[in-house]
Amino acid sequence: MNKVSIFESLPKRKISRKGFLKLCGIGAGSLALNNALVKFAFGQEEASAGRTVKKIKGLHDLVVAKGDDPYVMTVKAIEAMGGIGKFVRKNSTVLIKPNIGWDRSPEQAGNTNPYVVGALIDMCFNSGAKRVNIFDKTCNDTKRCYENSGIEKIAREKGANVYAPDDWNVVKAKFNYESPMEGWPIYRDALECDTFINVPILKHHSLTGLTISMKNLMGICSGNRGLMHFDIGTKLAHLTDFIKPDLNVIDAYRILKRNGPSGGNLADVVDMKTLIVGMDPVLCDAYSCVLMGQEPSSMSYIKQAVKYNIGKGDYTDIAKADILTINV
Amino acid sequence: MKKLILARKLSQVLFLSLFIYLLWLTPHTAAFFKIDPLISIFSLFSLIMLGAALIIGRFFCGWVCPLGTIIDACGIKAKNRDTGFLRKVKYYVLGVIVIFAFLGIQIAWIFDPLVITARFISLNFIPSFTLALDKLFIFLIKSLNFYAPLYDFYRMLKLSILGTKIFYFPHSFITLSFFVIICGLALITKRFWCRILCPLGAIYALTARFCLLRRHVDKCMHCMTCSINCRMSAIKEDSSYRKEECILCMDCVYDCPDLATKFSWPGKNTGRRTEGSISRKDFLFLIASSFLFLGFKGKEEGLKKKLIRPPGVKNEHEFLNKCIRCGNCMKICPTNGLQPAIFESGLIGIWAPHLVPEIGYCEYNCNLCGNVCPTGAIPKLSLARKKEQKLGAAMIDKFICLPWSQNKECIVCEEHCPVASKAIKTYEEVIAGKKIRKPYVDISLCIGCGICQNKCPTRPERAIKVLP
Repeated sequence: MNKVSIFESLPKRKISRKGFLKLCGIGAGSLALNNALVKFAFGQEEASAGRTVKKIKGLHDLVVAKGDDPYVMTVKAIEAMGGIGKFVRKNSTVLIKPNIGWDRSPEQAGNTNPYVVGALIDMCFNSGAKRVNIFDKTCNDTKRCYENSGIEKIAREKGANVYAPDDWNVVKAKFNYESPMEGWPIYRDALECDTFINVPILKHHSLTGLTISMKNLMGICSGNRGLMHFDIGTKLAHLTDFIKPDLNVIDAYRILKRNGPSGGNLADVVDMKTLIVGMDPVLCDAYSCVLMGQEPSSMSYIKQAVKYNIGKGDYTDIAKADILTINV
Repeated sequence: MKKLILARKLSQVLFLSLFIYLLWLTPHTAAFFKIDPLISIFSLFSLIMLGAALIIGRFFCGWVCPLGTIIDACGIKAKNRDTGFLRKVKYYVLGVIVIFAFLGIQIAWIFDPLVITARFISLNFIPSFTLALDKLFIFLIKSLNFYAPLYDFYRMLKLSILGTKIFYFPHSFITLSFFVIICGLALITKRFWCRILCPLGAIYALTARFCLLRRHVDKCMHCMTCSINCRMSAIKEDSSYRKEECILCMDCVYDCPDLATKFSWPGKNTGRRTEGSISRKDFLFLIASSFLFLGFKGKEEGLKKKLIRPPGVKNEHEFLNKCIRCGNCMKICPTNGLQPAIFESGLIGIWAPHLVPEIGYCEYNCNLCGNVCPTGAIPKLSLARKKEQKLGAAMIDKFICLPWSQNKECIVCEEHCPVASKAIKTYEEVIAGKKIRKPYVDISLCIGCGICQNKCPTRPERAIKVLP
């Protein structure tokens, strides 16, 4: 045996014409197969006409709770509305959609108060819900928003499913009237739930003036969401009509007065210690506007919702509405 | 039972897994670079490693080095060849690196094996692995309708190890081909890279020349099996060996038909001094040739484009010299915004991280990149300090911006601006009965994080851009 030096020639392999053609054939064939497989695996897209309406009526049009403990306020307000049993049936799937858009702490009032979410989860499970889903399409990094808002922790403790929405699991919105939202991708889980509980935080928003329950529904939209800002009033109105949330719980415990929606400065945060519960998102939003000293018709989305007859949002509607105020 | 070989393989797999684990799931990625004498020569741990090499030899190459493990795996079926005098090349590589270091240019990043492996794992392995896993799950869930338990498991993975974002590096094929070539060289002969090119191997070789642990052969039959099989080509034809080349792989102990080979501590029959690995003539030649490179220094100065560097980087020149291009910051960046540069900042700046706001912005509440940087090229800053760092400043292109050019409502940039008092302000203008708010940038407040550019809805060009 002898050592082989590196300078000796390396083995060579020859290829015949037939072999070359065969190789090309195999390559093309596998590419075609791969294409077909990818289409089969990832290529399906469905359209949906939105959630079916149940039109559950509570005892009042709106319940406004004031107090010091957001958890207790939520429980009492819903009880005054007739109890969560009206909205959540046994073995049903509930989607709670809080605002977890920003990488901010609860004190900075960028996201929904975690205790409001916690109270809702507890009530849903007590009412016999099989599954409680919680998600939001975040503006900052998802993991950080979920952690720093405190919502992930409290929801996991109480047994709810917190997860990041998947952009591949969407349906295309379909409307039976002409809409700028036609074909917009919406997360499937927002539609495939028995009860949709919308839990926004009331805060300042630079473009729309205030972000409340209708604006909070943007968190179930996939796609290039920046483009929704053009003609946002109509888009939000149609989106609300598409989803038709069963229950809106507006957290106004701490509110951001300026520099919304992201905030970050504690000087901009004011304690309001209020919670608003209602079935009609438009009425809820209109009432919140009045609460903040603004005119409902100055909000483009309320104006459009009234125009399309999606909900009640005029001053006269608020005056006529059955509003119960409780102190907790 | 080849106990020693088994122990070596176990140690190799263990260290490789540890390396991947640290990179993937923890922010303690700097640990491996602290024991690397080529990168942090004055760190206590690398001095300990050199001390250990002085006693045992090049155990690092054979038992620890993750690149060595991968190269071993690639060369399992390769023919073993004698590389002869080519083994000297690695001393030239080391020499060039050292000379450049004295001239104030750091080029260790090109050849350091730990850096090469870390870069491959962060920029190629983890992204493609997570992508494949993600697609597999999507396939199972979506087309086979495997909802409920599997979907919940997938979602749990997404918020933990898989990550909510599948990372993407547009030019990663360059790092991939670099890595593949280095490992592929093992097909020519086993451990080609380690024998001929590795500068870290050269440092250990220089130390291991004086090591105490030695190889002995009693009553050699001159069958040459060990010499032919030696993966480092360290054993000579007369069964004596080049001590500085031996990586203690322990193959020869079991290859020997008489089991006559042993490794032992110095006793009465110490082996003779090994021959020199690099001659004085070679050394002078090396220095002379290195100065040729000096001629190119400073020629590309005017061509360099300024890039958005990670938060806290002040001096571009100092940053490039400290950065070893290991890819740790790019792996840890939660938005995938830190990307390796190619030629944007000249040859000297290849693979150094810069922020590409179209892909990802600098997260306001995050200082991870400074925390994982092994050499301090990106300074370690407290969260409060990091929030004050200016990466650049945003500029609005009024010909693209929707409110400015088309009178449409937008101000997505203002909405996302993380500065508490908003670095983007708006004018209100009434056009055809509609209130349109038009954004402008307050440069004194802007920190250049790039979230405005990232979220700007205009395509293909963004209407707001961050300039360094």
